[in-house]
Amino acid sequence: MQTVTSHTSQRGVMTTSQQDTAEKAAQLLAQIAETRSRQAFSELFSHFAPKLQAYGTRQFGNEQTAMDLVQETMTNVWHKAHLFKADKGSPSTWIFTIARNIRFDLLRKNKKRKDDISADELWPILAEQNDNLDDDYALDQDILLQEISHYYGQLPDAQRIVVEKIYVEGKSQQEVSDSLGIPLGTVKSRTRLALKKLKELIVEHD
Amino acid sequence: MIKSHPSEAILYQYASGDLSASMTLVVGTHIDMCPICKRTVCEIEEDLCNKHLDSLVETICAPSKGAMSKTQCDQMLEAIFNSQAKPAAQREDLISLEGRRFNLPTTLAHNAHRIGEWTHLVGKLWRAPVDLSDDGQTNLIYMEPGAQVPEHTHKGQEATLVIDGVFNDEHDAYYDGDFILLDADRKHTPRTATEDCLTLATLDAPLFFTSGISRLLNPFSSLFFR
Repeated sequence: MQTVTSHTSQRGVMTTSQQDTAEKAAQLLAQIAETRSRQAFSELFSHFAPKLQAYGTRQFGNEQTAMDLVQETMTNVWHKAHLFKADKGSPSTWIFTIARNIRFDLLRKNKKRKDDISADELWPILAEQNDNLDDDYALDQDILLQEISHYYGQLPDAQRIVVEKIYVEGKSQQEVSDSLGIPLGTVKSRTRLALKKLKELIVEHD
Repeated sequence: MIKSHPSEAILYQYASGDLSASMTLVVGTHIDMCPICKRTVCEIEEDLCNKHLDSLVETICAPSKGAMSKTQCDQMLEAIFNSQAKPAAQREDLISLEGRRFNLPTTLAHNAHRIGEWTHLVGKLWRAPVDLSDDGQTNLIYMEPGAQVPEHTHKGQEATLVIDGVFNDEHDAYYDGDFILLDADRKHTPRTATEDCLTLATLDAPLFFTSGISRLLNPFSSLFFR
């Protein structure tokens, strides 16, 4: 396997093998987010767990704490895969920032601080941020609503209602969540699936 | 345009997770407001990732003796699949004081539940503590128009971030997003003119007032800006 250490001092430059790995990891994250695929996660796990373990061992000098870091980091990856944005950086950088947060928490826990401040508050990288909406749902800027409205009928009811509330009535995802009494995460995933489906329908039609 | 930024060394410590909680909050809030530092931090995170994770190709090819066994991997995977997702973080995007309302940048918004009651200090100054249970003392400081903080030095470092408005000291004028780090022996007298100003400030030791009657405040300075 290719050695990449000689390139590490160059910011933002990836070798071909790193790019392949990054693309593969991004695909796995997308699969985990969309289908909750345990197999995809296991594959991602076998790639990243040893790296995280080595990072943890060097940071803590303690095998058990290193294992805690691996488990907590990968637990976040499993639950939050949908928050990974391929256009914002590589999968490994995203996973590193999660591990960095877990390390911060574990170090404070070891100092027996009684407070409950967590790294997720200080680096809210795993927050369901509203301000990411534009990046997520830019589709409606490209296509006129009326052009796609006749595709609505082909969406499952649950998705159609969410999309109409957001794109026709102009409600925020939080408002939709409140008015339908369903979790925000469900609104987000329904929106994402609906937009994906619409895109496919439109491409097919063209 | 933000002109006063944290040094690259501070950004590096921020990205590594090596700053105190209070400094992480102030620097992180600056980064929310500053696309330039946001970009730099992304680059530093890529670097750190290269250094800590991506460069370990060889280690994997020749597993060390501490490497996880198949059984350990399977157990951990099982535990992960059976775990519950953490509840979504709470955030509060607005803060109000004396009829003024301010939008909070993302990082601060995630810590809004730690912001205590506003109390009126001397003159036209208000403060609300941000309880990070940290060694530092972190406060939101609100200066009405025409306010002045008595001249003081710091026993430790003081980091100040302008959230909204403008204030001046002997050295410069500071606007939205400006990050100011002052060390122990730098005297300054922050004041506002016609505009008000909301800042987030963290101190790792009490202020020390240096001029005139305000020196009387010194015995109380740990109460004053706690």
